Amino acid sequence: MLGRGLKRKLSDYEENMAGLSSRQLVLNMCLTKLQTYKMLVEPNLHRSVLIANTVQQESNCCDLRSAEDQIENSLLIVSDDDMSSAISSILKDLDFVEDISPPTCLVPTGDDQPKFPENAGLKLEDDRQDLKGAECVFGSFEISNSTSYLKDLAIDDIFEDIDTSMYDSDFCCPPLMPPRPPPLATEEPLKTFPSCNSSSANNIQICRTDLSELDHIMEILVGS
Amino acid sequence: MYQKPVLSELPRYRGRQDCGGRRVPGGSATAKGRAAAAAPQLPRARQSRRGPRGPPGPPHPHLHPPTPLLPRSPPPGPGRAAPRRPLPAGSRAVTSRRGPAGHGRHFETPGPPLPPSRGGSSARRLPPAPGRRLPPRPPAPAAPAPRDMAGVAGGGGGNGNDFQWCFSQVKGAIDEDVAEADIISTVEFNYSGDLLATGDKGGRVVIFQREQENKSRPLSRGEYNVYSTFQSHEPEFDYLKSLEIEEKINKIRWLPQQNAAHFLLSTNDKTIKLWKISERDKRAEGYNLKDEDGRLRDPFRITALRVPILKPMDLMVEASPRRIFANAHTYHINSISVNSDHETYLSADDLRINLWHLEITDRSFNIVDIKPANMEELTEVITAAEFHPHHCNVFVYSSSKGTIRLCDMRSSALCDRHSKFFEEPEDPSSRSFFSEIISSISDVKFSHSGRYMMTRDYLSVKVWDLNMENRPVETYQVHEYLRSKLCSLYENDCIFDKFECCWNGSDSAIMTGSYNNFFRMFDRNTRRDITLEASRESSKPRAILKPRKVCTGGKRKKDEISVDSLDFNKKILHTAWHPMENIIAVAATNNLYIFQDKIN
Repeated sequence: MLGRGLKRKLSDYEENMAGLSSRQLVLNMCLTKLQTYKMLVEPNLHRSVLIANTVQQESNCCDLRSAEDQIENSLLIVSDDDMSSAISSILKDLDFVEDISPPTCLVPTGDDQPKFPENAGLKLEDDRQDLKGAECVFGSFEISNSTSYLKDLAIDDIFEDIDTSMYDSDFCCPPLMPPRPPPLATEEPLKTFPSCNSSSANNIQICRTDLSELDHIMEILVGS
Repeated sequence: MYQKPVLSELPRYRGRQDCGGRRVPGGSATAKGRAAAAAPQLPRARQSRRGPRGPPGPPHPHLHPPTPLLPRSPPPGPGRAAPRRPLPAGSRAVTSRRGPAGHGRHFETPGPPLPPSRGGSSARRLPPAPGRRLPPRPPAPAAPAPRDMAGVAGGGGGNGNDFQWCFSQVKGAIDEDVAEADIISTVEFNYSGDLLATGDKGGRVVIFQREQENKSRPLSRGEYNVYSTFQSHEPEFDYLKSLEIEEKINKIRWLPQQNAAHFLLSTNDKTIKLWKISERDKRAEGYNLKDEDGRLRDPFRITALRVPILKPMDLMVEASPRRIFANAHTYHINSISVNSDHETYLSADDLRINLWHLEITDRSFNIVDIKPANMEELTEVITAAEFHPHHCNVFVYSSSKGTIRLCDMRSSALCDRHSKFFEEPEDPSSRSFFSEIISSISDVKFSHSGRYMMTRDYLSVKVWDLNMENRPVETYQVHEYLRSKLCSLYENDCIFDKFECCWNGSDSAIMTGSYNNFFRMFDRNTRRDITLEASRESSKPRAILKPRKVCTGGKRKKDEISVDSLDFNKKILHTAWHPMENIIAVAATNNLYIFQDKIN
């Protein structure tokens, strides 16, 4: 493996021949690293960003190459922020799909597996099902619904044993709900808590409006 | 009738305030918080989003009176020699309070190997990053075409003054088997150079003090001996995230000395602590209400009063935590920097920089925030930050893209917009897969004069003039021979190693580390450079260090070492230079080497 990486330095001829394979080599390494970092409880944000940038630059380079060299990638990012946000980092799942045909809208299905057999085990089936079919070129980051990562889990089952009846009507966003999709940003859930932050006063107002409606509904339901 | 519980009666969820694993009770913004906010003269930056914190919670273990350090190994047996030589009466004894031999890190004599730290670093650690522990040495392929090692000076010789570096001391265990907790993670001299602090992965801080000059041994300039050892940070657990927070000390920064005590800031990934190190060499005797043993006397039995007198005692050095600055960083803290006003300091993590007042722990101001609204758009992180040494409103921060931003806090409360932007245009001919990764700046340091700053990326050190943003004024290649090995260095993760750099006291020379326990020094005036090695082989007292050379290709000369024989496990990431003299401290994994110049 190291031999292939070094070959490209020796001569231009060999560089052309081995250029593609060495890029594959490096990109494979990137993929492996990101997968491994993802398995770590605490992914390293700095490294993830560097590797992601490297991969993106490579794809930009290879977009300039001939069509048969085109590599389509669907870049799926699962943002792992949750409400406490003690440590958040980008978890990216890099899928390499080598396709000879010109790039089309990538509609991933369960059997749309990457062509690298050694990477087959590294894919997350759940994530692929959630790609909405937007054209996935490497240059664009796919904004995924982060809850897709948890879609196959029955959210309520996790919290079955926790009695939240006392809190349910009093929180706009109960802390036990699954993490919000990224567009809502990670900061917002914090603001909805009755915290000392002055900006939370508005949110409490909003909560209270909703609460009174909820109250109304509850009264109807309870019938008293 | 459905009864809705009152909001105020519900337990408060503190959100990120609890991420330190410790509940911080406290209600809304207290009067103290508001008063504190009004106190500093600084621009009112955007408050950290978490809002002011409540009053401190239950006593933190470290806030108790200083307790003896938990022994990390059994107390030394009778056969163990006392590590300190007797000093003449009246001079400073530096025994720590735990007894003559001390517990904790045994820096003085290479004793029995210490058992793994209580944190059980290897046991609890999750699958390590690939290849991190024992990066495989790259096999020996055919040597690539030789590249010129820029700036290689001929032969020996040290820096511009033609002095030579000699071995002075080495601290730490000799064993091959290195306990992870003993790996030194930061080294820092204080402002006078009399104290040298080291932090390690086990969360401990060891401070060395320079001995006074000894008339009977004029050739041996003051040696550094252990002055104080304490456990600065403990491993913590974030229950909400089920994440362990490492106790590794990322940085230590000294505060300028204002009285007899010494103060330093030490930080791990999440929490910064202000430690006070003070000496006690007198003891009061003759209390009225207490016996000599400390037992209380019955007041009715006291027939006469006396004034307690101070008697000398064995010197005790105590370290006590005075402030704990917690819960302000979501990401890992990589830098702290004390401001020249001596009242404030900054702490930087991957995406944010916070400004603190040393007296106020429950509030910090966020002055830089580069977190994008969508984390998916994140392409750059903050890697280091530092205050200007003279202008208390100016600081810089470096990024993973090889850029440095200089910010002026007077221009706006939130310094997201820089005043100056330093970036060197990329050389298209040297572009490779790894260009971005190796351009990431791992350290930034202002010169003592404040006119220049120095940045360290993976292969080089650059000196920038603050008045010129488009390129550095000087570039020094540290180990250009690694450029052809980047692929394997990426594979074993060595490419992510974060080397630090430092200036000498007069800003005429700079130093940084490399692999194989090599470190490099560059003289800015003569443009000469030297490679030296921190190893036990050349550790005879006052032995002159022999310059080393890495053979990049062709025939390997005698005494040269080939690139493929370099040991990438032995990396020198942390070095420090005495602020006034030519004394350097070099951290080689678990050993601390001290070198000084030979007196001609």
